Amino acid sequence: MMVGSKSSSEAARLVTPTMLVLWLVLATVPLWITRIGLYPYLGIEILIWSLYAMAFNLVLGTAGLPSFGHGAYFGIGAYAFGLCQFDIVANLWICLVAAALAAGLAGALVALFISHRRGIYYAFMTIAFGQIFWTLAIKSHRITGGEDGLLKIKRLPANFGLVSFDLTDNVAFYYFVLAAFAVGVAALWRLVHSPYGRVVAAIRQSETRAAHLGYNVWLYKASIFALSAAVSGFAGGLFAMAQLAAFPDVMSLHQSGYVVMMTLVGGGLVSFWGPVIGVFLFLTARDVIGALTNAWMLYFGLLFIAIVLFRPEGIAGAISAALQQHSLNALRQRGTSAMRLLVGGGR
Amino acid sequence: MPVAKAKTLFDLLPHLLNGLTLGLLFALIALGFMLIVGLMEQINLAHGSLFALGAYVAMQLTGPRPPLPADLARIWLTLPLGWRYVATLIIAPVIVGLVGMLIEFCMRRTYGKDPLYGLLLTFGAAMVIEEMIRLVWGTRDYVLQVPSAINGGFIFSDLIWSTYRFYAAGIAAGIIGLVWLLIEKTSFGATVKAGAHDSEIVRALGINLSRLRLLVFVFGTVLAAIAGIIVAPIWGIRPHMGVDAVIPAFLVIVLGGVGSFWGAVVAGLLVGLCVGLAGAYASEWSLLSMYILLVVVVTFRARGLWGKKSVLEA
Repeated sequence: MMVGSKSSSEAARLVTPTMLVLWLVLATVPLWITRIGLYPYLGIEILIWSLYAMAFNLVLGTAGLPSFGHGAYFGIGAYAFGLCQFDIVANLWICLVAAALAAGLAGALVALFISHRRGIYYAFMTIAFGQIFWTLAIKSHRITGGEDGLLKIKRLPANFGLVSFDLTDNVAFYYFVLAAFAVGVAALWRLVHSPYGRVVAAIRQSETRAAHLGYNVWLYKASIFALSAAVSGFAGGLFAMAQLAAFPDVMSLHQSGYVVMMTLVGGGLVSFWGPVIGVFLFLTARDVIGALTNAWMLYFGLLFIAIVLFRPEGIAGAISAALQQHSLNALRQRGTSAMRLLVGGGR
Repeated sequence: MPVAKAKTLFDLLPHLLNGLTLGLLFALIALGFMLIVGLMEQINLAHGSLFALGAYVAMQLTGPRPPLPADLARIWLTLPLGWRYVATLIIAPVIVGLVGMLIEFCMRRTYGKDPLYGLLLTFGAAMVIEEMIRLVWGTRDYVLQVPSAINGGFIFSDLIWSTYRFYAAGIAAGIIGLVWLLIEKTSFGATVKAGAHDSEIVRALGINLSRLRLLVFVFGTVLAAIAGIIVAPIWGIRPHMGVDAVIPAFLVIVLGGVGSFWGAVVAGLLVGLCVGLAGAYASEWSLLSMYILLVVVVTFRARGLWGKKSVLEA
């Protein structure tokens, strides 16, 4: 079981105290972020990528399936948001649903081909499909704008029937993204702790055992992948709004690798909140170290190597060990076994 | 290279030849990757970065400003380009091999654990090497000078052919043959294969397994660097070339089947032919064709063409 879900009462809740505190803190961000030399747009990016990384962690952490081409679904969401806005209807809600649906469908299609796989071959196949979508995005100039990207995407107003909010300002958009993030996180928390989520976690621990208990392992693996792709696509739609454009770059192998890195550095294998920590660290490091030196990726790469070698449980694991006086060794073993399960899923 | 619209079989010939040379290069690129996967059951995602590093180091060595003390540099530059090129073909892979040695020292901690550790570690290493390349050489494109004997082109049946492509394909075939001899026909190869098969017995027989693994890994990185030097004049030298190489490499391995030498070579040729022929009909989409080839093959043959069962499958 995950570290973050120790008490069963917390797991049963829709909204946990941790979430409430996190949301309250996040709600104050626009008040002070410019004073410490950063800017609200960074906050938007962190929230969107956090949602994306948490969706990705459904596959990596909960199901134990190494997907290395997840950027594709994030990117498909971004393109779908833009295309829906241009060609179908310029309504925020419809466009966001379209983003999630398009990415979910793409994920379901890929899941058809890969869900009987595990381990490294699973990773290989997800890379291949990620590359297919990336090549399609770059080469279909007429639809996606090729390497220049799909430009002039608008931040549509959030229309609630009686009131309508304009989101063109970064602070207003930040609060919209925060609301979407809050809803998304609560939904993911429920999903992970639902009977369905428990079965998926059981499949991570032993595919054979779950199959012998009568669960349709293939269907669970396929559906969790499609769900993860859909939520990634939703985050991608938000990202298109944030950037006012959709670029093929997020679909590249590199960017897909970054989300794996963020999730693992943060501790997604042992904690529900791990991906958020990883994204926060990655994007803040990019801006803070990036302002000092061009070679920030060099230092982040070295940090990543160190974490893989010495702290496979990630930062969330280290924090929770410190907070709850777990012996670090026990946790490290848990991180190690989680890592092992990622590949050795069925043994 | 020929760009005429392909209609008859004879018109297709240039594309077939082009595909074959490309296929040999793909097989060469995949060779080092394949050795490390097949013999050590480790996935070296830094393969592409080491490939790029080889090309950059070679470019620096043959270029107008070699990284040597002023006097030595002057002597070095008086040598004819052919000599310098041949010397570089040996020196640059050795330098990259040293980097590979460093990666292997880190990787030791992950042996006996999950292969995913090695994969993640080398992903980090790839990032670090690529960033180093950007720091030292910037993001601009470079050209690797080659001796005039293998440069230029010739005309055959009304088409212009690049001499270098044939030279590169020949070298690739030669190196593939040499590696095959080394693995299949020498006692070193036999020991390495035994080590991959049953490390405990090999250790019990008094063979220094960690030195053996170091040798295999360094050999794999040296092959990556050689591939980089051979391919550089065709693809050009830029920071992104590593990614352009590692993806076909892993594709060739999955297609050919993990642990199969001839599987990798045949898959390399197949991918090259596929890309070459797709280029004849829809050049925009030629890169996509290799992914589709992979998906089609792997859907029907789970372990690729000649894959054996390995621990990587779990």
